[in-house]
Amino acid sequence: MSQRNSYAVGTGLFIVLGFAALAYLATQTTSIANTHQGASYTVQAHFANIGQLKERAPVKIAGVRVGQVRSIVLDPEKEAAEVTLAIDERYSHIPDDSVAAIFTSGLLGDQYVGIQYGNSNKDVAEGGTLARTKPAQQLEEMLGKFFGAGGVADNLGGSYTLKARFSNVGALSAGAPVKMAGVPIGSVAAVHADPVRLDAEVILVIDKKYDQIPDDSAAAVFTSGLIGTQYVAIQPGGSPEMLKNGDEMVLTQSAMQLEDLIGKFLVNGSPSEQKDAPAGKQ
Amino acid sequence: MSAQPQRNVIANALAQIGEAGLFGLTLLAAVPRSMKHARETVRQLWFVGAMSLTIIMVCGLFVGMVLGLQLYYVLSIFGGTAASGTVVAIAIYRELGPVVTALLFAGRAGTSITAEIGLMRATDQLAAMEMMAVDPIAYVAVPRYLAGLIAMPLLCAVFCALGIFGGHLVGVTWLGIDNGTFWSNMTATVDVWKDVVNGIVIKSAVFGAVVSLIAVYQGYTTPPTSEGVAYATTRTVVASSIAILALDFVLTAFLM
Repeated sequence: MSQRNSYAVGTGLFIVLGFAALAYLATQTTSIANTHQGASYTVQAHFANIGQLKERAPVKIAGVRVGQVRSIVLDPEKEAAEVTLAIDERYSHIPDDSVAAIFTSGLLGDQYVGIQYGNSNKDVAEGGTLARTKPAQQLEEMLGKFFGAGGVADNLGGSYTLKARFSNVGALSAGAPVKMAGVPIGSVAAVHADPVRLDAEVILVIDKKYDQIPDDSAAAVFTSGLIGTQYVAIQPGGSPEMLKNGDEMVLTQSAMQLEDLIGKFLVNGSPSEQKDAPAGKQ
Repeated sequence: MSAQPQRNVIANALAQIGEAGLFGLTLLAAVPRSMKHARETVRQLWFVGAMSLTIIMVCGLFVGMVLGLQLYYVLSIFGGTAASGTVVAIAIYRELGPVVTALLFAGRAGTSITAEIGLMRATDQLAAMEMMAVDPIAYVAVPRYLAGLIAMPLLCAVFCALGIFGGHLVGVTWLGIDNGTFWSNMTATVDVWKDVVNGIVIKSAVFGAVVSLIAVYQGYTTPPTSEGVAYATTRTVVASSIAILALDFVLTAFLM
């Protein structure tokens, strides 16, 4: 009888262990776990563009991890992403003029929020807001500035369903996200070529929540990271008039083709080409 | 195999699959009758499940550790070591967890089931049970089959947990990937239904059913000689391995 009991107990333990492992994996290693919080205090920051920042991304001061991103929501009134940072209570003395910026670890790495200390004597309060922020740098914008291609709009076209015309949509396809300040607000309904004007007409379907987009906002085709998928980014303008259903967005920026950029770079940077070319022919 | 005629290999294989399928139906039909032998099922669960925990845990740990190491090496070329948590979790949930657990299970528990039932057959214990009006299907075969069916998903869950712990140990503790990035990337990408439930629950339950069926069938139909038991044990491992890997492809195609 005692031997019978011992294996029964062992079998019970085995079953409990198995289910415990399953429950742990299902709740702690999947998207369900994102609600987890530790002892921390929260600070908010508004970013014009969060890039690829995700919830639970690290928050760093001087490169040292001090907390994590708790939530990211779009604030339609400010046309900015509202990012809530949960910071370890030990590091609660952050001057209220500190700058929050979104950085990338390496070229393809993940993005994180870096806080650079300010000089103010006042600390930012629990639940307060860091007023000074720097948005995530888009690779296309940086490359665009670098090549003098015009930061915002290099192409005039003309369109809640909104229309936008691009001279080149790159690999953009129907279903791709439309983002403002890095937060998805809609999707691309259709991409087709205009046989008369010989450009691409893109139909954007945008969430009714976000009907406060100024009519001088710019639409641009961006790529997530260096090798990611393409999406349409809307950069808000300053006009008091808002875009309405069926309007066409006038300011657009076409997709940057990596080949074009590299081609320009090779033509302009002739020394490197001359060095490389003979070596290639030999 | 060499003891049997080599001709009609394909026909023999098909006949074996068909007989195993029919035997599986016999087992399912006998499940209600075996309910009065529930204690025997628990004893078998202890034997094939709880006693397999050690090998499953050790192997899971090392699979996770080697994944962490390899991924760190490859991903550091692209500066993407932050993704290693995601890749470890998805690789383990979707493929390595169910498949490696099933292969280990076939080697650890399947062989012993075949050998045990085969020896019962060879020493006429099954015939003796029939003489005593004890149904050997309900008393011997079904409890072992049910135990394998229940044990596989649980073993797979333990394997996956240890695998992720191993990946975390190597990636975060030794190689210095950020702990939060490791978990945040994992939790941002891994989905409960598509990854955890499909992998741990569905795949491993199917593997458990197939491996246990093969093990019980091979044991039950063993030629009653010591050589027959040896061949049956070998065939359990070979047939189980092929079935696991082939079914894995089919299941992945369906569950994607």
